[in-house]
Amino acid sequence: MTALPRRVLVVGFAALAAAPAVPAQGAAQAGQNLTLRRAQQAYDNLEYRQALGLARAALRERLTGLERARAYELLGFSYAAMDSILRAVDAFKQLVLLDPERELDPNRVSPKAYSAFDVALRQVLLVRGLRVDSASFVGGQGAVPIRFTVTQPARVVVRAVSPAGSVVIDSGAWNGQVNLRWAARLAGGDPMPAGDYVVVVDARLGQNAFSASAPIRVRHGSVDTLAHLAALPGYSYLPETEIPPQSWRPLGLAFVYTGGALVGTLGLEGGSLGSSSKRELAIVGGAALVTGAVMTLRKPAPRPAAANILYNRLLREQLARRNQEIARENAARRQQVQLTVVPLPRGAR
Amino acid sequence: MTRRAALLAALLVAARPAGAQQAAVGPQAALAEYREVAAGLRYRGAGYGGAASARWRRFSAEASVVRLSLDPAPGGVATRGFTATEVDARLGYDVADYASVEVGILRRTADPEFDAQSVGAVRLGARSAYALGPGATVAFRAGYLAASRFSGGGRAPVALEFGLLLDVRFWGRVRGAAAYQFQRINRKTNPGGTGEVDAPIQESLARVGLALALGR
Repeated sequence: MTALPRRVLVVGFAALAAAPAVPAQGAAQAGQNLTLRRAQQAYDNLEYRQALGLARAALRERLTGLERARAYELLGFSYAAMDSILRAVDAFKQLVLLDPERELDPNRVSPKAYSAFDVALRQVLLVRGLRVDSASFVGGQGAVPIRFTVTQPARVVVRAVSPAGSVVIDSGAWNGQVNLRWAARLAGGDPMPAGDYVVVVDARLGQNAFSASAPIRVRHGSVDTLAHLAALPGYSYLPETEIPPQSWRPLGLAFVYTGGALVGTLGLEGGSLGSSSKRELAIVGGAALVTGAVMTLRKPAPRPAAANILYNRLLREQLARRNQEIARENAARRQQVQLTVVPLPRGAR
Repeated sequence: MTRRAALLAALLVAARPAGAQQAAVGPQAALAEYREVAAGLRYRGAGYGGAASARWRRFSAEASVVRLSLDPAPGGVATRGFTATEVDARLGYDVADYASVEVGILRRTADPEFDAQSVGAVRLGARSAYALGPGATVAFRAGYLAASRFSGGGRAPVALEFGLLLDVRFWGRVRGAAAYQFQRINRKTNPGGTGEVDAPIQESLARVGLALALGR
């Protein structure tokens, strides 16, 4: 087997991930090269030695990347079937270097082949399963989830690269599953300018290095403002007037006032001047009593309900205060940016 | 003529709505009974006049003028009647929702001049008002008539008055007003320096009229 390449930039191999996990199922797809097709047929016929020879012969021919990966896969499976595990591991190393996203289904391949593939993964520095999730948030108040797997302990640097330059998202010594949250901000705190970027993950372990990338698009939008409230949810205004119960109070008051005038008159008159006829008092007092009787019998007029007025005033103050808060919030939101980050299909840029 | 014009001007000024929360002005009819010195010297009669009122914040003002034709009452000893012109004016200040203090003047003149006493005095009193219902108010007032002056001389150490007032809104700006006023002035004179003698004056007056509300 050949030595590991110093640096393999893996972009555009997503299609390889769709290749079948079991060689027999992928024969038709991989069989563009005649020798490789014969190797596949030999493997399907359980003629492993012949399959090994044909696969090695095919690797000496001019193959596409897909065919080359397929040839190494056939080698790996054939060596595993022949209990030559170390060689199977080497073949699978070549396979994953060509197709880092390659996965085997443990339910459909032999345990020996799967074990050899797993060992191969641990012996090669790879960055696999790079995923950038869609996210939409107000700048400075959210983050974009980024996750990937590093197959060996390595120094990893994650960057967002655009024609204008690159921004380091994060870096560290990682191994296994890595989950990052990227705030999509520049070093100065400003949101990332809108545009297309490539999230590049560089892993380095000694002389070995590996890179994986995923294209993304950053869009800017205005932040939604809040609508002003016309009413507080769950609270409603109360009637500010109430109709008092009917009472004899008006007639009673008319009696009291008229009686007061009568008492005053009786108290002052008399002596040498004699008593007055009370004609004038009778006219005005009678009018007062009639008015009191009418006011007693008629439907009482609505009167202000002090408690309800106070309640409504408090409600209006609360509403005004909340709307002031909303206005302040909206003023702040108008200065913010809604960032939307979406992953792009590979090759879409 | 000049006197009437002055009275009319005073009424209009009192009723002017500018700066007032509410003002009212209107004509009035009056009934009166007047007694002087002794029970036999009594008069009854009717008359006409006008009244104006205004209210601004806690302050209130009232003015009224009536001209009464008083004739000798049946059974009395008076032989001929006279005409009296009475001017009442008051300024009030509300000390509570239903109570106010008042100061004012009273001037009643008789024509012919010596057929009855002409009186001038300063009023000091209080008033209590209560709303009977929407647009209807009843009030009671009592006052002391200080610094009394009489055309025939004398003094009045005790001079009191009581009143009953009714104000009803009929429709829109038109209001009805009725007022009863009873005065007792214990006048004392000293004719010829022979010693004081009682010469009391007693008047009951009822005024009924309409008023047109102005302003707000």
